[in-house]
Amino acid sequence: MSELVDTFVRNAEAAGFEVHRGEAPRIAGAGVSRADYGVAATGSVVLAASHGEPRARHLVPEVHVSLLREDAIVADLAALFAALDGRIPSALAIVTGPSRSADIEQRLVVGVHGPREVHVVLEAS
Amino acid sequence: MSFPVLDEHPRKATDAATLRLFRARTAAWASLDDVQALRDRAYEIRMRAIDDLDAHLGQFVTALEAAGGKAHLCATAEEARATVARLCSGASLAAKSKSMLSEEIELNGALAAAGVEVVETDLGEYILQLAGEHPVHIIAPAIEKTKEDVARLLSAVEGVAIEPQLEALAQAARRQLQRVFQQADVGITGANFAVCETGSICLVTNEGNGGLVTSLPRMHIALLGVERLVPTLDDLSVLLQLLARSGTGQTLTTYTRLLTGPRHADEEDGPEELHVVVVDNGRKRIRDSRYKEMLACIRCGACLNVCPIYRQSGGAAYGTVYSGPMGAVLVPLLRGLEREPGLPHASSLCGACTAACPVKIPLHELLLELRRDLVGERIAPRAERFAFTVWSLLWSRPPLYRLSTRFVRFGSRFAALAGPGRVWAAGRALPQPARRRYRDMR
Repeated sequence: MSELVDTFVRNAEAAGFEVHRGEAPRIAGAGVSRADYGVAATGSVVLAASHGEPRARHLVPEVHVSLLREDAIVADLAALFAALDGRIPSALAIVTGPSRSADIEQRLVVGVHGPREVHVVLEAS
Repeated sequence: MSFPVLDEHPRKATDAATLRLFRARTAAWASLDDVQALRDRAYEIRMRAIDDLDAHLGQFVTALEAAGGKAHLCATAEEARATVARLCSGASLAAKSKSMLSEEIELNGALAAAGVEVVETDLGEYILQLAGEHPVHIIAPAIEKTKEDVARLLSAVEGVAIEPQLEALAQAARRQLQRVFQQADVGITGANFAVCETGSICLVTNEGNGGLVTSLPRMHIALLGVERLVPTLDDLSVLLQLLARSGTGQTLTTYTRLLTGPRHADEEDGPEELHVVVVDNGRKRIRDSRYKEMLACIRCGACLNVCPIYRQSGGAAYGTVYSGPMGAVLVPLLRGLEREPGLPHASSLCGACTAACPVKIPLHELLLELRRDLVGERIAPRAERFAFTVWSLLWSRPPLYRLSTRFVRFGSRFAALAGPGRVWAAGRALPQPARRRYRDMR
């Protein structure tokens, strides 16, 4: 279990997330979402659209925070799709880091349309 | 058809970008436990869907409509354009996320003619739209533009000078496109994959524009090439592992979205209507030919980055929507070999494209096969076919071969006097054959 969490943290940080444990950072104007899953192999948070979790919440604000329970972390994409077990939301976003573009001179810039700053808060099971 | 070398700036930019993308891909492939096994699985998945395309399409349409979406099957580009235009009637602004298929069917012009303003929201595509140009690379569309070019284009929109600095340019584009996301009546996207078992569309973007155009407007229209079907979600997980790694070297594209039907009644945002426009436009004809493996292509762009022709000439030289090795195979198949007889020659047949393809399409073999068809179907010019017939007649008979080599010394002088030999010799010194033949030295 903790190995999965460690892998998630390593890959999420590599993807550009700031990972916190326990307490959510207080940032004015930030969008806050409850992540349904985390994917260890890619360091992604998975957000399902639902009543109370609009699709654009993780895209419109410049800063976004995902709350993720440690026991909701799965190994990889195959495990994620297996965990859905046929319950497919209208929109499932697998988010791996901040909004980014390399369209101008192939140089990386963050925060093009979506957030420039993304956080994950891990909650112990 | 000729493939001139690019001017200095775009050549350097293309060279640097393709080299960077090549290195990123090879590093990302190396990070996988067994990339060859994954490529084999990906090939098997793609061919399974293509071999039984009609059944898979039927399954997808059933699942999509069960989820509340609507499928529109279009045989031709014309039909697809008309369908999208009809769906957009009454709309005044459409926000568009990157779609090569929309370029293929020339959608933007048709919508403009129908009175719908279409704005591209992918940063690279937006820049090209402002410049009135078309993409030159599948995943790096504006590869040849400098930040000074971009600053000029974005400044013209706002009527104020924007500094040619990366951050300032990105912020300006964000500002300019926010209005489009908020006010658009329709969101138009492509589809990287469609999942048959769930009726889902899979859409990947790094900027997040794909998410915004499928969240805020009241209608979402997704353009789907009929071959982009994937049987199951498990199969999708295999292809997603290869798509971003092969395209940009990322483990996964930043925003990977699975869209299944329109918004539910209790949800705060999302489109009320989801329309999937499924486009054939020649694909089923390819499925029924010996070129069907070309339909396995997932549009990652890896073959462009390794191709010596693409890297020297750039995407615009191909004069078509799809460029590089995948374009040189796909475009003649879609449009007809007789309309694109030059493209199969846009290759050195070195095989780098085949080695770079994540779904193992034998690209250089297909190019060779197309060249065979050019001759077999008598599309190649008569003089060219005659020359090769004479050549094969002479060189497949030892006495005539020996005789012909005796005249090489004289022949090479005459070769520079006319036809292609003259063009070739204009800027070069022709090699001089040795005085004595090797066979005479024994």
